[in-house]
Amino acid sequence: MELTLFVIIGTIAVVAAAMMLISENAVHSALFLILNFACIAFFFLMLHAPFLAMVQITVYAGAIMVLFLFVIMLLGAERLMPEQHPRFPWLSPLALVLSLAFLIVTSVVIIRGDIDLTDPQATAPHFRVVNALDDVAEIDLYLDDTRIVRSLEFKESTDFEQREPGRYRATVYPAGADPQADDPLVEQEVDLASNQAVSLVAIGSGNEIHLVTASEAEAGLEGDDVLRLTVINALPDRSLIDVADISHNTRMSLIENVPYAESSESVEIAEDVEAIGVFPDGDTRNRLASLENAELEADTSLLLIFADRRRPDNSYTNVVIDLRTNTSASFGSPTHVGQILFNRYVLPFEMVALVLLAAMIGALVLTHEEVTQRRIVKRRLANPSGALERPITGETGK
Amino acid sequence: MDTPEVATELFVLLSAILFIMGAMGVLLRRNAILIFMSVELMLNAANLALAAFARQWGNGDGHLVVFFVMTVAAAEVAVGLALIVAIFRTKKNINIDELHMFKD
Repeated sequence: MELTLFVIIGTIAVVAAAMMLISENAVHSALFLILNFACIAFFFLMLHAPFLAMVQITVYAGAIMVLFLFVIMLLGAERLMPEQHPRFPWLSPLALVLSLAFLIVTSVVIIRGDIDLTDPQATAPHFRVVNALDDVAEIDLYLDDTRIVRSLEFKESTDFEQREPGRYRATVYPAGADPQADDPLVEQEVDLASNQAVSLVAIGSGNEIHLVTASEAEAGLEGDDVLRLTVINALPDRSLIDVADISHNTRMSLIENVPYAESSESVEIAEDVEAIGVFPDGDTRNRLASLENAELEADTSLLLIFADRRRPDNSYTNVVIDLRTNTSASFGSPTHVGQILFNRYVLPFEMVALVLLAAMIGALVLTHEEVTQRRIVKRRLANPSGALERPITGETGK
Repeated sequence: MDTPEVATELFVLLSAILFIMGAMGVLLRRNAILIFMSVELMLNAANLALAAFARQWGNGDGHLVVFFVMTVAAAEVAVGLALIVAIFRTKKNINIDELHMFKD
């Protein structure tokens, strides 16, 4: 199916390019080029690059080709002069031979060549930080010695960020603490492996604070259309817990025996789960906490942290921190492109902006020079000798 | 990651064909505007290969390069068309074989 579409659109693209080359009328050439650009926008869609496809249509097929058509019509250059007595008669056959040779060489290299495309490179790990610490109002987290997050509030989480894979030393401080002088709340080594989405969750209270890592394989390009659930046990009685689906007055066990300060494996659950309850291990009646009206959707990764929160009267209440991430294919989306642009490509972006500025000034200079020259010519024609002016003004003084 | 139905090689092959057609346009046509359009075609063919490899490696950097190529192409078109307009004003012609400013 996809291959058929590729062949059809590819044929249209090649035919449009050929028609662009051979048509005598420059306007027809421009229109065929627009058709070719539209085909390439379609290919961008096939290649999971929706943002590029939209930019291709708006910027290329829109803005740039409008500029071309405008200049063609402005100059009245749509009809080409017949190319009589070309200055380099040997150029055309030579160009044909060279391009055919180039085409054959590249085709052979692409088809028969030893290009290893079998092992897709791993994507760098993503991680986020979640604060489930009861006692400390806000936390800072450092990976090695760089601060990742400052003043993260209870129940809040950061967005996913990318890091190089490797082993990092994660330290958690109360908000505003000085990492050189103050003691960390907790210090732990974390492994960030490729193709993993890692959540660093600070849990606990008082002197016992833990940093729990919940990692999950990242969905590939296509998304996998399932709902995944991971739970972290941060309940203060430190016993094993069971997690169950308690919607529709039934009790279906989802995850069993999660120890304190550990995360469960990620499991697939059904979309129609409306309520998730957490029970002490082996107990089916005493519900510790629950998440009601979950309204879950596919392509979501759900991380539930069962923690406790001190009430103003010093009693504790169990809370469920509910973090959802959309795992549907985000590769090539405007968000993805924007994140890369503002993380690693800020300097090239500035330089491209400078190039555009230079182009603007260049266009101004190129077309402006002409006008000033013409003015000088006019003045000279109106007053060829340039010596006529002074005697007349001299005369009028008398 | 699933293996895609249309192999990366096919996209690269198509991109090579389009690139060569653009190159032929630059070499064979004598109209300056058409030469510019052929250059655009070559840039687009390169963009297609970049996007194909970006999908192959699951790496978004290729998309950024395509984005920058598009920006630079826009700048290039602005300057190039300004040049063509300026030349057309003096020579009344944009056939590049007729434009030999240094010869006579």
